[in-house]
Amino acid sequence: MDPAPAQYMIRINGHLGATMLSAFPALAPRHHGAHTVLTGLLDRSALYGVLAEIEALGLELLEIQKLTPDRASPVPGHDRSR
Amino acid sequence: MPVQRGQQDAQQFWLGLLDAVRHASPPADHAEPPAATPDFNAPAMVDRVRSELADVRGGVTLVVDDLHELRSPETLTQLTRLLTSLPPQAHAILAMRHDVRLGLHRLRLAGELAEIRAADLRFSERETRELLHASDITLSEAGVAVLYERTEGWAAGLRLAVISLAGHPDPERFVAEFSGSDRTVAEYLLAEMLDRQPPDVQDLLLRTSLLDRVNGELADLLTGRPGSERILLDLEAANAFVESLDPDRAWFRYHHLLADFLRLELRRTLPAEVPALHRRAAEWFIRQGQVAEAIRHTQAAGDWPDAARLLADHSFSLTLDGQAQTMQALVRAFPPGADDPELAVVRAMGDLAQGRLDEAAAHLEVAEAHVRTTPPGRRRRLQVAVASLQLSLARRRGDLTAVVRQVRFLASPVTGPSDEDIALGSDLRAVALMNLGTVETWSLGLPDAERHLREGAVLARAIGRPYLEIGCLAQLGFAYIFHDPGEPKADAFATTQRRCREAIELAERYGWGTEPVIAPALMTLAGTLVLLGEFDEGERWLRRTERALQTDTGPDIRLLLHQTAGMLQAGRGRRHEALAEFAAAEDLASQLERPQALASQMTGWRLATQARLGRPGEARAGLAGIDDERARSGEIRNAHAVISLAEGDPAGALDAVHDVLDGTAPVLGYATVVEAHLLAGLAHRELGDQRAANQAAERALALAESDRLVLPFAMTGSAGLLETLPQYQTAHAALLADILDVLHGSSPAATEVTSLLPAEELSPGELRVLRYLPTNLSRPEIASELSVSPNTVSTHLRSIYAKLQVRDRSSAVQRARELRLLAAGRAR
Repeated sequence: MDPAPAQYMIRINGHLGATMLSAFPALAPRHHGAHTVLTGLLDRSALYGVLAEIEALGLELLEIQKLTPDRASPVPGHDRSR
Repeated sequence: MPVQRGQQDAQQFWLGLLDAVRHASPPADHAEPPAATPDFNAPAMVDRVRSELADVRGGVTLVVDDLHELRSPETLTQLTRLLTSLPPQAHAILAMRHDVRLGLHRLRLAGELAEIRAADLRFSERETRELLHASDITLSEAGVAVLYERTEGWAAGLRLAVISLAGHPDPERFVAEFSGSDRTVAEYLLAEMLDRQPPDVQDLLLRTSLLDRVNGELADLLTGRPGSERILLDLEAANAFVESLDPDRAWFRYHHLLADFLRLELRRTLPAEVPALHRRAAEWFIRQGQVAEAIRHTQAAGDWPDAARLLADHSFSLTLDGQAQTMQALVRAFPPGADDPELAVVRAMGDLAQGRLDEAAAHLEVAEAHVRTTPPGRRRRLQVAVASLQLSLARRRGDLTAVVRQVRFLASPVTGPSDEDIALGSDLRAVALMNLGTVETWSLGLPDAERHLREGAVLARAIGRPYLEIGCLAQLGFAYIFHDPGEPKADAFATTQRRCREAIELAERYGWGTEPVIAPALMTLAGTLVLLGEFDEGERWLRRTERALQTDTGPDIRLLLHQTAGMLQAGRGRRHEALAEFAAAEDLASQLERPQALASQMTGWRLATQARLGRPGEARAGLAGIDDERARSGEIRNAHAVISLAEGDPAGALDAVHDVLDGTAPVLGYATVVEAHLLAGLAHRELGDQRAANQAAERALALAESDRLVLPFAMTGSAGLLETLPQYQTAHAALLADILDVLHGSSPAATEVTSLLPAEELSPGELRVLRYLPTNLSRPEIASELSVSPNTVSTHLRSIYAKLQVRDRSSAVQRARELRLLAAGRAR
């Protein structure tokens, strides 16, 4: 069973430039400290496609979170990586 | 061996691996280089790779790079099998960017697996310093520390940094800026590296980034400038994330990180040019005959109708090249809005390969409708493709006669205006001839079968398609045995066996000795051996047929497998086992849409076996359920006779076989007539008429003599009938002795035969005399039988004794039996 698309928040180490960002056209980018936070509506295969891109482009994935409908925007402060 | 990007086809992977092993250590035998086959057998291929690895003298290390690119879970399973059973002197190294599903726990537990993970690959600060030093880069201790910290020792990042630092006017500043930037390590360093290249190099890298691999010619084409090869060689020499793929340094690829970055950059900076670049690449690949690659680029250019046409036109060639899965992946890549009736042929092919017959039929209907609206230039080719697939479908469904009439036109050549069309047409035509001849063979008695198969084999050889050549030859062996059953040829069995062995030998040269394509020849050989009473050898070939059919899903040929196994069991007197096999064959036959041509034989033998097992009531009930047309066949009449005999009604048995003996009942082959004579003999014996019984047995022997047919005697349980035959009266003493040997199970094991070859071959004259030795005929009597002088017989005898290294007549007979010299089929 394929669940319905959901809002995801993906946190990557470092700032993504225009070239790297063009790999994620479906996601909205935002810099957050030294990180880049990508958010957007993804179904399961789109999500795995994004993860594959992150791996292929040598990016460091710090966090990935499925956002519940009542929390439409990511809440900072859960960053356990540094 | 590098795994190609997104590899779908198991076969391409394994052929590549086998090729790499052979490259490292060319095999001593004269086997043909590994070639693709549409019915690839992965487990057999794994065994082949393992055995070639075992043959490599000294040590061998197998290196598989980019294993994560493999998109075939089944292949990972098979690779696991290989890795967990490597020969002792073979080692394997697998490189991958992320973990793949390999079941290597056992190796890990046994301490036979070393894993090098990201943490192990990470550079230490000291190693960072050594790398810089080795690259002639002077950097302060603090600079090294900063670089190390910023990259966290990531090897690819450090290498990228080294590319930019080499020849940089101020390395310290570079490191400071890098360290001060918030951008990701990869993007910063890739962008830096690209920026530092001259404009023409940057342009080349960008425009060729959409290729998985590039050479000078292709790069010239995409940049519109000459001199690309020099640039690629320089980039490789500068260690700039460009590596050559072959010893000649003709083909290159970019480090995946660089390639992905360049592709993004190309789409961002030159979006309008991307489709045109793909189109140019597609044209180049089609000229090179690299069809899958060409279709991929045509799709990437968004030219969906062109891609569909290319795919449909090359679908047969791609299948023959072992790229069936790649082809289906290409079909799946079409977006819903760009579906095309051209694709119906390709989809039907995939359905057929997977055994989804109803889906295949539906897709073929779409394709057929589409053919009618296709412009004349391509119509003929599509028509042949559709008809060829209809034949495959009909064969799998067992609905043969209707389709044969429909596709007669296949026999005439496809002619196209260009060389490419002719080459395409040749693949298609050879497939069509093979399918047509196969279906004609299976519907029996179609005299064109042999001609079409022979023509197909010749064409296949001419166009270098060994798979099709072997497919035609394998069917040809099968076709011959059924050729014109009304007029048995004197050499039918010997010729059939020779043809089968030749086809098998050719298949073995390509490593396809146990593949479905050769199964008809394996089966036919097994069947003829069983018919000749060579049960042990027949069984060995039957086992091999079973292995060859593991991957085949069609009921038609499996049905024959059960029937032949039933014949073998029945010949050995194992009636319960025989019954199970005949019933299994009938069950498969019932899955076919129309009664299979051999159905009356299967049903006949099943009923007869039931009766012989003491269940005549059951058999008679089965007989009642047979329609009138089939009930008139010789095979069913024989079964009727067996049932009557079991019921204690010999007169009824004689009545049943009457029409078989006078030739009015249709029969599948003359073995049925031999069987009928024996059943009549058994009935006469029951009735106390020994003279008529002897006459019937004599007639059976006379008919069986030319091929030295043994099975009907064994199946009917005619030992008693033959033993009461006065040996001195029979003209078939040698055959009789052979048959009695088989019936008493005293036939020497065939394995001994090769070690017992005579010192010198017997001449035809000597063989003729030899065959009279088991009889009670005296020398003068033999001389008069052969119309030669008694002296000639004596000379032959002396020579026979010398060659067989024996001293008397009875040991000569014994030795000749061991050597199978009494069987006429062998000596011819």
